[in-house]
Amino acid sequence: MKGLLRWLKLVGRNKALLLMVLPGFVWFLLFCYLPMPGALIAFKDYQFSRDGFLASMIESKWVGFKNFEYLFKTEDAYLIVRNTLLYNAAFIILGTLFAVLVAIVISEIANKKLAKIYQTGMFLPHFLSWVIVSYFVFSFLSVDKGVLNQFLTWIGADPEFWYTETKFWPYILIIVNLWKGVGYGSVIYLAAIVGIDKSYFEAAMIDGASKWQQIRNITIPMITPIIVIMFILAVGGIFRADFGLFYQVPRDTGALYSVTNVIDTFVYRGLKVTGNIGMSTAAGLYQSVVGFILVLVTNFIVRKINKEQALF
Amino acid sequence: MRKSVLLVLTFIMLASIALAGCSSGSKDTKSSEGTKDTGTTDTQVTPEKKEDPVTLLWYTIGGPQKDQDKVLTEVNKYLQEKINVKLDMKVIDWGDYSQKMQVIAASGEPFDIAFTSSWAFNYVEGARKGYFLELDELLNQSGQGIKEVLNPAFLEGSKVNGHNYAIPTNKELPAQAVWRFNKNLVDKYKLDITQATMLESLAPMLKAVKAGEPDVYPIPSNIGMYLPFDFALEGIPVGVPMNTTDFKMVNIWESVEAKQVFKTMREYYQAGYLPPDVATKQGNDFEKTGKWLVDKQHTVPFADIQWTESMKYPIVSTPIHEPLVFNWSVTGSMQAISAKTKYPKQAMEFLNLLNTDKYLRNLINNGIEGVHYKRLTADTYEPIPDSGYSMPSFTLGNMFLLDKLKADPADKWEQYKKFNDSAKNAPLLGFQFDPTNVMTEIANVKNAVDEFGPSFNTGSVDPEKMLPKAIEKLKAQGIEKIIAEAQKQLDAWRASK
Repeated sequence: MKGLLRWLKLVGRNKALLLMVLPGFVWFLLFCYLPMPGALIAFKDYQFSRDGFLASMIESKWVGFKNFEYLFKTEDAYLIVRNTLLYNAAFIILGTLFAVLVAIVISEIANKKLAKIYQTGMFLPHFLSWVIVSYFVFSFLSVDKGVLNQFLTWIGADPEFWYTETKFWPYILIIVNLWKGVGYGSVIYLAAIVGIDKSYFEAAMIDGASKWQQIRNITIPMITPIIVIMFILAVGGIFRADFGLFYQVPRDTGALYSVTNVIDTFVYRGLKVTGNIGMSTAAGLYQSVVGFILVLVTNFIVRKINKEQALF
Repeated sequence: MRKSVLLVLTFIMLASIALAGCSSGSKDTKSSEGTKDTGTTDTQVTPEKKEDPVTLLWYTIGGPQKDQDKVLTEVNKYLQEKINVKLDMKVIDWGDYSQKMQVIAASGEPFDIAFTSSWAFNYVEGARKGYFLELDELLNQSGQGIKEVLNPAFLEGSKVNGHNYAIPTNKELPAQAVWRFNKNLVDKYKLDITQATMLESLAPMLKAVKAGEPDVYPIPSNIGMYLPFDFALEGIPVGVPMNTTDFKMVNIWESVEAKQVFKTMREYYQAGYLPPDVATKQGNDFEKTGKWLVDKQHTVPFADIQWTESMKYPIVSTPIHEPLVFNWSVTGSMQAISAKTKYPKQAMEFLNLLNTDKYLRNLINNGIEGVHYKRLTADTYEPIPDSGYSMPSFTLGNMFLLDKLKADPADKWEQYKKFNDSAKNAPLLGFQFDPTNVMTEIANVKNAVDEFGPSFNTGSVDPEKMLPKAIEKLKAQGIEKIIAEAQKQLDAWRASK
């Protein structure tokens, strides 16, 4: 009873903050936690029952790990896991690097109006769908009409068959992904930088610190906690590839699969014939579980290094 | 204080990223959306009193129509009077239909009637999964009209495990692949297209056109090669030769025929008859530019006239093979009744009417007279451009009831009937492969097929070098197991006949 009262008091005291979290909380509850029992379908041979979804789930036969087999029993198993992990690792590292860089540069621009324009400009690609981006890319890389090949012929070089040469694609995919994501990623860091107490910089300036010294010794240490949090959370998604990027941008070209096939595209291609719900759920669960373990491990490591900066 | 505000801000932003991830990404959230849907299952329409009309929810495929409500009001007036039923029609766009219906059906969301076919919202799979009501009894009770008008081969050929689960649309029964030519170029270079019986016989024509029009790629895109096989499962190269006598399932990529086709395509590709990046080309822009000579299509009676109309320049075609009835051509367009419907009888009565009633069929297809079309004679009409209503004619029901366009020949539907009667059965007609035991292998093989297929079909890679690699990969992915399973099922099916 007493505990409950104290809890209510705590709620009352923090109601403003709790209200802010509420929409997100409800969203998570409805769309992430409520459907979670559905993950059981991964272990079932899902059969539809007249009595609705719950009944179908209960009545379907257990099949153990059979739905997971196709993710491991293939020649491509290593390839898709490697591609997914390496690309995502590159995206996380380079994405963070560039996002922080852009955030610092924008925060240092004296003309705030111009800074806003730059920021908006960098933010815009985030709103484009991958299908549209894939046509942008195609207009650069098309063999007969692409900008790049016309440039190459103009300077006297041989045109390239961009969509059959695997060697270019790791770079293309990383560049395209950075172009689309950096503006969005930098917003959080920018907010963090704006939140740094101005008196630190004033004191540093009085002591004669250069811009570079200020950035290195004030800005970066102050936003490190946020960088670490963002990093840990990003690691949780490292097993989930961006389907649009890997399917649309290379235009689903078979010759490029060795460098563009990731778990998500593999699952899509494999299941579009049979549309097996159990197997697609299995893939999702596999990705989530690995992501979850990775978050725990990363957090554990961060904790070992610096307890303050760990997420939990 | 500032720090905590910052933290909250950060978390909200993070949450929104995570949320975006949740919504766009995983298929498991999608399939589990049903958990909340089950609650709404019972709210549809409470059991009706005798005189209240029943409302049927009907999902069908096509571009959404602006004036759909207007037309539905008319339809409902008529239906209420005829069979005391009201219709709620939901049209889902071509590209979304399969995916949306999969989710709707799997999660148990209510519907009464739905479009199903071999190419969108797969019929055989839906029937096997239990989404559809078995219709044998119901057809005899309330669907007599359908049985009378429909070519019996439709109902016979679309049986799954010996039962009917959907009403096929009365239309062309067989499939016939043709070489389709741009007549402007055919005339200009005086080509004799009747010579075009095989892929190889196209060579002199391609050569003549390429020589005269260097900026034209005579074969404009990945036109999908015709291989004389009946496939056990779409998209997987497992099947029997069209002229089979021993019904032995083979790996089609290993066949002499496939090798020959890939080799010829390679020669064409190297001769510059196809665009250099043809393997990645999408869409059919060439139809608009007219810079092409030949592609491959499936024909129906008077298809040349339709193609000519839609492209605004003359098209001619030559058949590649005789008309053949395939499983996928029989199940090309059907309406199924949901296993969960509360009104099976009314649903069947409605489908019966849709397939036998000329007024209703034309109303749902062409809209309201004077608003969406002009009547010319008793059975011809002219659509009013951009009127806000025009449904795809082959997706709804009995096509032979439809009024004709001005350009259509008077005996259009008679020719369809003749086309249907002339057809021969493909070897696997009636055999529905059940992939349950080889799901893993199919998923893996499909990835390999997508990886190599388009390159071979367009000649973008050298089959001498790559085909052995591709076949090896197919084997590593377990195609032998699929072949064995298909053979086992085929033998059992033949023994039962």
